[in-house]
Amino acid sequence: MQRLATTVRLNRSVLQFDDAANARLEQYLAESASLLEADPDPQEILADLEQAVADQCTRRLRPEQTVVTLAELEPALEEIGSVQTPGTGPASSGQPRAAAPRVLQQVSEGAVISGVCTGLGRYFGFNVTALRVFAVLLLLLSGGGVILVYFTLMLLMPFAPLAADGQPLGWLPGKCRAFMEYLRAKFHLAAG
Amino acid sequence: MTAESKLAPIRKGLLEFLVLKIVGVKSVYVPDILRQLAGTEFTTQEGTLYPLLSKLRREDLVQYEWKESDAGPPRKYYRLTDTGRAQLAALDEYWTLINRTIANFGH
Repeated sequence: MQRLATTVRLNRSVLQFDDAANARLEQYLAESASLLEADPDPQEILADLEQAVADQCTRRLRPEQTVVTLAELEPALEEIGSVQTPGTGPASSGQPRAAAPRVLQQVSEGAVISGVCTGLGRYFGFNVTALRVFAVLLLLLSGGGVILVYFTLMLLMPFAPLAADGQPLGWLPGKCRAFMEYLRAKFHLAAG
Repeated sequence: MTAESKLAPIRKGLLEFLVLKIVGVKSVYVPDILRQLAGTEFTTQEGTLYPLLSKLRREDLVQYEWKESDAGPPRKYYRLTDTGRAQLAALDEYWTLINRTIANFGH
């Protein structure tokens, strides 16, 4: 039997994760993303956290070991800890914050088309790749009806703020974002 | 309410002040900051520090630059901006003042 590992890009590092560790990693990052929903710069912090995970796991790998397992990932995540947002005032400091309200937004960074799938994945906590595969399947089965659904969501879902460190958007996500903003302005559509 | 539950928010509020102090000495990257805080009352984790540093950067109190490291990818080194330095000085002064005030009561 051969166990296949997943290659994961964590900010500036590339590592191999086995299935269990990969699932745990995705869960941690999704949790962090939802905790950072109210933060103006979630992308920057998530990139930092990804790098922290990569560094911590690399440090824990044995010399011959190439694939990260839960044995490395769990203590790494333990050391990094879950995301704590800095209190903005006396009212919110100290008290364990109620989960930040989840917002359904399109995420342009890393999007294939406009970021609807990434946004839905974040909102509902689904794996984005699985969601995209599902969308393509649905596209084939529905004979194109999904395109209308996608376009409607594109028009209605607000866009998440762009990352502060200005990672460039893909050509298509950039165009989609610009086009939707144009349409919304033209028809006075307030998204959100 | 136990004493500990009252102390936690105080520590949380002071962490930002401490991070400014540490960053003010020389440019550091996050593991340096964690190491300096480890073992003190302000022991903290990356999950706490990165959101805090992001906020401080947004407030233009710190900025970072990428530096190559001997092993692994480049690292973010944080340092104070002029605004940060001014705010740190103000906080430091206020902290001394508060301490004096607190010490003067209760005798």
